[in-house]
Amino acid sequence: MNESMSLPTHDADHDRDDASEAALLNAFGYPEPVWQRFVDAPRAGRFDASTPGVVSGRAGTPAARSVLSLQMQFDEHGRVVDARFRAYGCPSSIAVGAWIAEWSLGRSTDDMTGLSASTLRRELEIPEDRAHCALMGEDALRDLLNRYREKLT
Amino acid sequence: MTTAAHPPIYLDYAASTPLDRRVLDAMLPLMVEDGLHANPASSHGPGFRARAAVEKARAQVAALIGAEPGEIIWTSGATESNNLAIKGALEFRGLTQAHVVTSRTEHKCVLDTCRHLETRGVRVTYLKPGALGLVTPEQVIDALTPDTALVSLMWVNNEIGTVHEIERLAPLLRERGVLFHVDAAQAAGRVAIDLSQVPVDLMSLSAHKAYGPKGIGALFVRRRPRARLAPQIHGGGHEQGMRSGTLAPHQIVGMGAAFEILQREGAAEAQRLAALRDRLWAGLQSLPQLHRNGDPTRSAPHVLNVSFEGVEGESLRASLPDLAVSSGSACSSATQEPSYVLRALGRDDELANASLRFSVGRRSTEAEIDAAAARVCQQVRRLREISALWD
Repeated sequence: MNESMSLPTHDADHDRDDASEAALLNAFGYPEPVWQRFVDAPRAGRFDASTPGVVSGRAGTPAARSVLSLQMQFDEHGRVVDARFRAYGCPSSIAVGAWIAEWSLGRSTDDMTGLSASTLRRELEIPEDRAHCALMGEDALRDLLNRYREKLT
Repeated sequence: MTTAAHPPIYLDYAASTPLDRRVLDAMLPLMVEDGLHANPASSHGPGFRARAAVEKARAQVAALIGAEPGEIIWTSGATESNNLAIKGALEFRGLTQAHVVTSRTEHKCVLDTCRHLETRGVRVTYLKPGALGLVTPEQVIDALTPDTALVSLMWVNNEIGTVHEIERLAPLLRERGVLFHVDAAQAAGRVAIDLSQVPVDLMSLSAHKAYGPKGIGALFVRRRPRARLAPQIHGGGHEQGMRSGTLAPHQIVGMGAAFEILQREGAAEAQRLAALRDRLWAGLQSLPQLHRNGDPTRSAPHVLNVSFEGVEGESLRASLPDLAVSSGSACSSATQEPSYVLRALGRDDELANASLRFSVGRRSTEAEIDAAAARVCQQVRRLREISALWD
């Protein structure tokens, strides 16, 4: 390494290995409600196939670079006791999945019917150019609720 | 919002390089009142001294590429050089019935110049590279027509690092009397270039890709046989009438110093960079389903381009705020269109979008490479765990 270079150097040996403990920098300026859910991704994943009472819903396409998959576990009274999501897409898509999974806890299908993209956009501060992410959330939830009703009948 | 504890690890040397301290030291005397500030076109002592500094730099740039000093024309950078070479050659020849051969993976400034010429009646063939990004000399020769006035092909691709077979193609074009322009912005100092042996007619160079200042570049214009150009900037007849405008001696001297360093240290540096590039690729191997873009057997030492299956590009970029890397061409946002270069190689949109270009340089260290590889592996794993498309 040439020591006469002009820019300040830093100790690259130090700390970098422990990247998991360093909070990610929101370098591109995502809305804070989106960023926190993107970074923490609470409830990301899926239930074990043997878990009882699980209903799934899905929306989006790989070609549109957005796919959201929701899973909710219902109790015998039709209330959500646990939820998971998986998302392929931009940080807003991931945040939408995390928000719906968290919001669904303790709610009944009736409580959840009518969750709109505009509510998702308001809660997550999703800008106009990402409105499709909120729509995908609305569609995935609607798909899940339809499957729940099909299961009952 | 949390701030990063460290400045980002800079792995974007193909986009731009920091000024080498030795280059800065060479430039500073040109910017103060000690006689070197004069207009190099002025006929007095200070002007003569400024002119001598400019001519020394011209010789330094020429020496790196095996050219004569009189074959170097100063420009504002490789974009202007490419514009001057292509438009200038075509205008000099006459635009009607002219045909140009180039490739789909050229830099935007070549492609956009060609598209502009198409609006003026020039016909252009955009060759599709093979899956590894290589346009072969045979493809170029097959595309020639009796009207072909110019072939323009980059030496090193800026996104994937593929090194074209310029040494083999140039004599084939010379035999056929077709003018040959090469964009060497990424190549200078990173691959060996000897224009005393390789009959390229026009070659574009940039200073800021080579630890020199931004805003200065050069165009090599061969003297024997003479490559003729119509000027694109008219004025005082500077630079043999091919590029008017008062010269910027401080930048010119910076480019000269940068190229002189490359001539002395470039070969050893290229070896070191290739080792860092290979170390980075090795460091990513704990991730399954990676795709290296470009031709590993014909790769410039500084570039590694990788596509990551199962993750979405914008989330990938957003997850790596502590790495200064590139995807596609430079862009201020994490949102962007998939790279046209990767699409020309046949990568689908999803994979092209989930691609990163890492480029190493003079200040890159093994520790930085290891930290970057660990960071990328960690974040790709995290996004794949979240991904609805990854099982």
